[in-house]
Amino acid sequence: MSSPSISDVGSRLFQEYTTKTPQKLKLIDAYLGYIMATGVIQFVYCCLVGTFPFNSFLSGFISTVASFILGVCLRIQVNPSNSIIFKNISVERAFADFIFAHGVLHLVVLNFIG
Amino acid sequence: KSRTKGSQAVVSTQSTGGEPIREIAAEVGLEVDEPGTAVIDHMNYDVADTGNHVLIVAGDFTSTEVIVGASPSPVLFHGVGMAADSENPLVIDILRASDTAYSHSPDQDILEYPLAIGSSLLLVAGMQARNNARVVVFGSHDMLSDKLYNAQAQTVASTTSQEAGNRGFVSAVADWALKRNGDLRFSAIKHNKVGEEPSDAAYRITDDVEYSIIIEEMRSGKWAPFQAKDVQVEFVRIDPFVRLFLVPDSAGNFKVSFKVPDVYGVFQFKVDYDRTGYTHLFSTTQVSVRPFRHTEYERFIPSAYPYYASAFSMMGGVIVFSFLFLYHKDTKPAAKTE
Repeated sequence: MSSPSISDVGSRLFQEYTTKTPQKLKLIDAYLGYIMATGVIQFVYCCLVGTFPFNSFLSGFISTVASFILGVCLRIQVNPSNSIIFKNISVERAFADFIFAHGVLHLVVLNFIG
Repeated sequence: KSRTKGSQAVVSTQSTGGEPIREIAAEVGLEVDEPGTAVIDHMNYDVADTGNHVLIVAGDFTSTEVIVGASPSPVLFHGVGMAADSENPLVIDILRASDTAYSHSPDQDILEYPLAIGSSLLLVAGMQARNNARVVVFGSHDMLSDKLYNAQAQTVASTTSQEAGNRGFVSAVADWALKRNGDLRFSAIKHNKVGEEPSDAAYRITDDVEYSIIIEEMRSGKWAPFQAKDVQVEFVRIDPFVRLFLVPDSAGNFKVSFKVPDVYGVFQFKVDYDRTGYTHLFSTTQVSVRPFRHTEYERFIPSAYPYYASAFSMMGGVIVFSFLFLYHKDTKPAAKTE
């Protein structure tokens, strides 16, 4: 057997992803992709225009990064294949944590954005 | 407010002049040549000279009009010359000898270099001290005499004679020396934010301020508004941040307005006017400049709009996502492939 090449791995990954992933997780993934896009746009803008006002840049950028992290945490906790690890955390509980953390995050972001 | 301390002196001497006058002149930086010497000019002596070429016609005046008048005529001179250190910033050479003149005893052979020659040899010299007191030394008594006041000046080289300018020249120089001309004083310094009354409150960075000062000049014994275009004011915090020309109006009120620089600290408005023939004006007024208060910054910074947009879009994204997540109905996943 010839060892699989990168393109083989990539296409296998893509195929498995599109067929086997539950829709709920794909929804979260789409949301994460949107967050990443806004984060990248902001970073490129800051590189072009300069860091004034730095607090606004940090606030906006950290908002995207933290949202991304919270989304990833939600995805991990909600993924049925991980249910063994997260026995006592129901989907509702995970979502409630997610929303609570977002509340704190946006409070802080609006304070720091100046 | 008078800027002068000390008093003025007008002194004259001549070839046979004594030591005390020479010492007074030396105190103010003028070295008068030794007794028995005279200013000799073999090319510019007057037709009435008796043979030694010591009665000379001199026309090399200083360009400072406040001392010698607008266009002084050549004067007759018969006396001793002076030299001053060229690096002395306080001495003013009011009347210089012409390039062909030198200072020496007319009766002796010249065996050593004279005290001074040419335009370094001064016939009438003045000094304004740092306390604005003035001294003038005339090297010739005869220059002030009625005889020369009423004489005609004609050099041997020229064919026309004109009235000697002694009367006008000496009056102008004496008026300057005695501070009837060329004295300056300032009053009424006013500074305020544009559109407001003067107050003790500190200025703020990037404020518009206006500064005005009244300067008067003594002309023929009377105070009159000073009309010069080159008076400057500096806004100094150790180094000047702003330096502008003050613009006079007909009443001698010098004004300018400018924007306070983007630097806070303790500043001074400085007017430092030092011109040959005029008293030295120096005035400083100290003011404070404060930075923006917390509420004086712009509320929203245009270059940060993308960051504002992203923060709000994250919030919007969470809301939209939550709706989708909560109301999502799972469709059966595709059957597992074996």
